[in-house]
Amino acid sequence: MLEIDGVSKRFGSTVALDGMTLTVRPGELYGFVGANGAGKTTTMRIALGVLAADAGEVRLDGRPLDAASRRRIGYMPEERGLYPRMAVGTQLRYLAELRGRSAADARAAADRWTERLGIADRRGDEVQRLSLGNQQRVQLAAALVADPDVLVLDEPFSGLDPLAVDVMSDVLRERRDAGAPVVFSSHQLELVERLCDRVGIVRAGRAVAEGTVEELRDASAPELLVVAPHATPGWADALPGVDGTRLTHQGTVLTLGDPSDATLTTVLDAARRTGPVLEFRRLRPPLSEIYRDTVADTRPPAPSEAPGAAA
Amino acid sequence: MNSALRPVALIARREFASRVKGRAFVVGTLVVLLLLGVYAAVVATLASGEDTARVGVTGAAVALTGPLQRAAPTEGLSLTVVPQPDVAAGEAAVRAGDLDALVGGDAVRPRVYVESEPDAALERVIVDATTAVARDAYLVGRGVDPVGLDAAVAESGPVVVSAEPPDPQAGQRLGLGLAGAFLLFFSIQTYGAMVAQGVVEEKASRVVEIVLSSVRPWQLLLGKVLGLGAVGLLQLVVLGGAGLAVAGAAGVLSGGAGLVSTVVSVVVWYLLGFALYATVFAAAGSLVSRQEDTQSVLSPITITVLLGFVVGFNLLTSDPRGTAITVISLLPPFSPLFMPARIALGVAPVGQVVLAFALTIAFTAAVLALGGRIYANSVLRTGARVSFREAWGRARP
Repeated sequence: MLEIDGVSKRFGSTVALDGMTLTVRPGELYGFVGANGAGKTTTMRIALGVLAADAGEVRLDGRPLDAASRRRIGYMPEERGLYPRMAVGTQLRYLAELRGRSAADARAAADRWTERLGIADRRGDEVQRLSLGNQQRVQLAAALVADPDVLVLDEPFSGLDPLAVDVMSDVLRERRDAGAPVVFSSHQLELVERLCDRVGIVRAGRAVAEGTVEELRDASAPELLVVAPHATPGWADALPGVDGTRLTHQGTVLTLGDPSDATLTTVLDAARRTGPVLEFRRLRPPLSEIYRDTVADTRPPAPSEAPGAAA
Repeated sequence: MNSALRPVALIARREFASRVKGRAFVVGTLVVLLLLGVYAAVVATLASGEDTARVGVTGAAVALTGPLQRAAPTEGLSLTVVPQPDVAAGEAAVRAGDLDALVGGDAVRPRVYVESEPDAALERVIVDATTAVARDAYLVGRGVDPVGLDAAVAESGPVVVSAEPPDPQAGQRLGLGLAGAFLLFFSIQTYGAMVAQGVVEEKASRVVEIVLSSVRPWQLLLGKVLGLGAVGLLQLVVLGGAGLAVAGAAGVLSGGAGLVSTVVSVVVWYLLGFALYATVFAAAGSLVSRQEDTQSVLSPITITVLLGFVVGFNLLTSDPRGTAITVISLLPPFSPLFMPARIALGVAPVGQVVLAFALTIAFTAAVLALGGRIYANSVLRTGARVSFREAWGRARP
């Protein structure tokens, strides 16, 4: 279990993290979403010990992270980087050995991952000779080659072709199924929704929502779609328990302040009074909508806080 | 192996392998070897270039042949005397460049015909010869045997007893010392700059973030310095060994003469000097993120070292026992460059060597602490150049 507990970090006068707290359980694929500058990269860098936190703690299996336990984390930084003039195979073996693997283990793992990621025939080539897509695969192999117990990946899907996205998704699921806590950040919310067991939404250096997509959905203001072709605009505006209505191409969408049975009955009765009701159902907003609402709802407490803090 | 040191060894091995396997190292070493060989050949030709002269004699001046040949060795001149049938033929030979001078006419006041002006040594030889002829004639006229006088004069002269006899191998020692100083300067500049480039390359390619998620900054810095230091040492040994072999084969160098102790002291001081400078170079390199900016942070260091080297090298050749070079060789940043040379020259008292060594170790320790801190603070900061104050300020845990 990877716990990030109340971590804060300032860069000069800029607050990058403000009590960031989140938990990634074993065998869980965790999606980390938020705007640029919300603090995702800083959080990951602190988890890997690449940056020092001003306050707070990162724990792995209940124990504060130290140099030895950090070597159990596979890491893919947002700023991709490999030795450009080093051969793929040599480089992967070197990185595995730096994380404490024996020479034999490192060789076997480098062979296995290059095979798996479809770059086995490029093992002897210098990294700079590979296409960008293949360099990304080497980068993923670099994160996996030390056989890590935890994966922390910053934007692993950015710049991947659809085939590579599938391979990456498979690998992440596989590690999750093997019991590893896996956390990755992404701006591709559909992908996060499809892949992740739980999602954390960050804003201005703080986790503002955390849970399964279903839980986040329940927590967000429930919406109701009513298709009543003969209804006049504004028919539901004054109904008790309804906070707002808007007309979409599908029909009327009502935001419910009080999603109780009484409200539902009132709304349905009002709709039937306008004529036939073709559709009456709870809307399941996609993650992207939940994300937009969540981020819009939570204003930073201090107006002096700089927006777009350094990631 | 100790778990903290294994990454250091791995990093050092990578740095060593990636440099030594590269063609640049082999080609670079060969080019330097070639340059050193050419330089040695030029110096050897200049040194062994003994003066030779051809002088024509004609008429009464033929009597000068013997005195000329006897006088030439005392002036360090190798002389060939060529009798000429007449003045015209001799003058033609001078104009054609076959003769350096034609001596004709009277043996005591001969007429010397030259192209433009006589070579100074040759002129002295001719003066010596005419003096001898005149003196002999004078002595014979008064019934004195010139040969007896010469024998008596040859017996005269002082017997010098020196409290500290000059070292017959002083020249060899100076050569060794200067070669050592030059090799140290060359290695430290080259491989120190390589450490800085390596640091910048890791920053520029961003790989440093992956590496530092596995190892601590001090491990990366130490591994880098050790690996590149070993490459530098290898090149130093190759160049130094080749130089010694060539010098030995050419007979310039005889065994002994503190040869072994000089080699040992050059290697020891190289290790110390490299640790010192590599750390400074690494800290400087960590301040920038792009190769283009490397030179701007390295120049102040390389210029300081270069100035110190030029001044010290001149002092070493002109006045190796002087106060100035003594002071320079005691100052830590320059001790590694000049102390081995002064040791080779045999002009460094043991006390000074120990003092310089202690000062350099203390200075290196301080530089390692300071440079290590700057490196750790700056190596992950990308973008604009990191100011010294920022680099010094925050420390990592």
